Amino acid sequence: MNAFPRASDGLTRINIMQGETKVSDDPNAVLTTVLGSCISACLYDPVAKVGGLNHFLLAEPGSGDTDVSSLQRYGVYAMEVLINAMMAMGATRSNLKARIYGGASLRDGFRDIGATNALFARRFLRDERIALVGEDVGGHGARRVEFRPTLGLARCRVASDRPVERLRLPPVPVPVAAVGDVEFF
Amino acid sequence: MTTNLPNEGNTVSSTIMTVDDSPSMRMLLKAALTDLGYKVLEAEDGVQALERLGGVEPDLLITDINMPRLDGFGLIEKVREQDRHRNLPILVLTTESSDEKKQRARNAGATGWIVKPFHPDKLAAAIRRVLH
Repeated sequence: MNAFPRASDGLTRINIMQGETKVSDDPNAVLTTVLGSCISACLYDPVAKVGGLNHFLLAEPGSGDTDVSSLQRYGVYAMEVLINAMMAMGATRSNLKARIYGGASLRDGFRDIGATNALFARRFLRDERIALVGEDVGGHGARRVEFRPTLGLARCRVASDRPVERLRLPPVPVPVAAVGDVEFF
Repeated sequence: MTTNLPNEGNTVSSTIMTVDDSPSMRMLLKAALTDLGYKVLEAEDGVQALERLGGVEPDLLITDINMPRLDGFGLIEKVREQDRHRNLPILVLTTESSDEKKQRARNAGATGWIVKPFHPDKLAAAIRRVLH
């Protein structure tokens, strides 16, 4: 069976932009995204037949913070938003399996953000004891990922072998205006 | 920076219990709180937190909301039922930010609400305020 038939296939394709998270239990849904140095984690619960995808870069929105611990805090946050959304739709944490994609090298003369993103994702999954069942990370090309959330199947193709910096999209504001905000009762 | 010395002048550092089902989140919190000079106890959900609270008296509880077995709302309610923890400050630390959920936490007896990802300086200021 081809999980990714083309055109007039009755499947609903949903595009996920940087900073977004989408979870679905719709058997006809295909979650898609285009990645450069960003990372997408595709998580699924094969028992509950729920899956989801996020798309993030290790950077705290608007803060300008680049130290390792603030990047980790943002990455953990991005993963937790996805995991919580899946649990709200009936997934069980201990059933979760993961695929990760992206993390291409920017070659911008500074540190390799893509590699940092991929390392973070692998370490997070290991620490959380979530099985990593597939990955396609690194390299220099942009990727297009298609994910069937209820089946847990993913297809990842190199969308272009051009260096990813030419494909960089304008940064999308991430809706976390209240980062770290404190309210007392 | 003197603002990073919450226990200045104290001979015994305060103890904070963190409750979160994510090992990554617990590690980040432990690193930040240890840097601030606090002792840290950990629990991975509301049930384990209640078990541990039977034997220790932390100065502050920081809890997540979405957790298996017993979530943050349930934990706060159970803690407030116990006389010995009636005055224990409880800060919620969560990705959630809806007014409805904040109201539930307030009604359950939470002291404050912090939205993830936490900022170490804001977290430190909130802790200082509730520990006074």
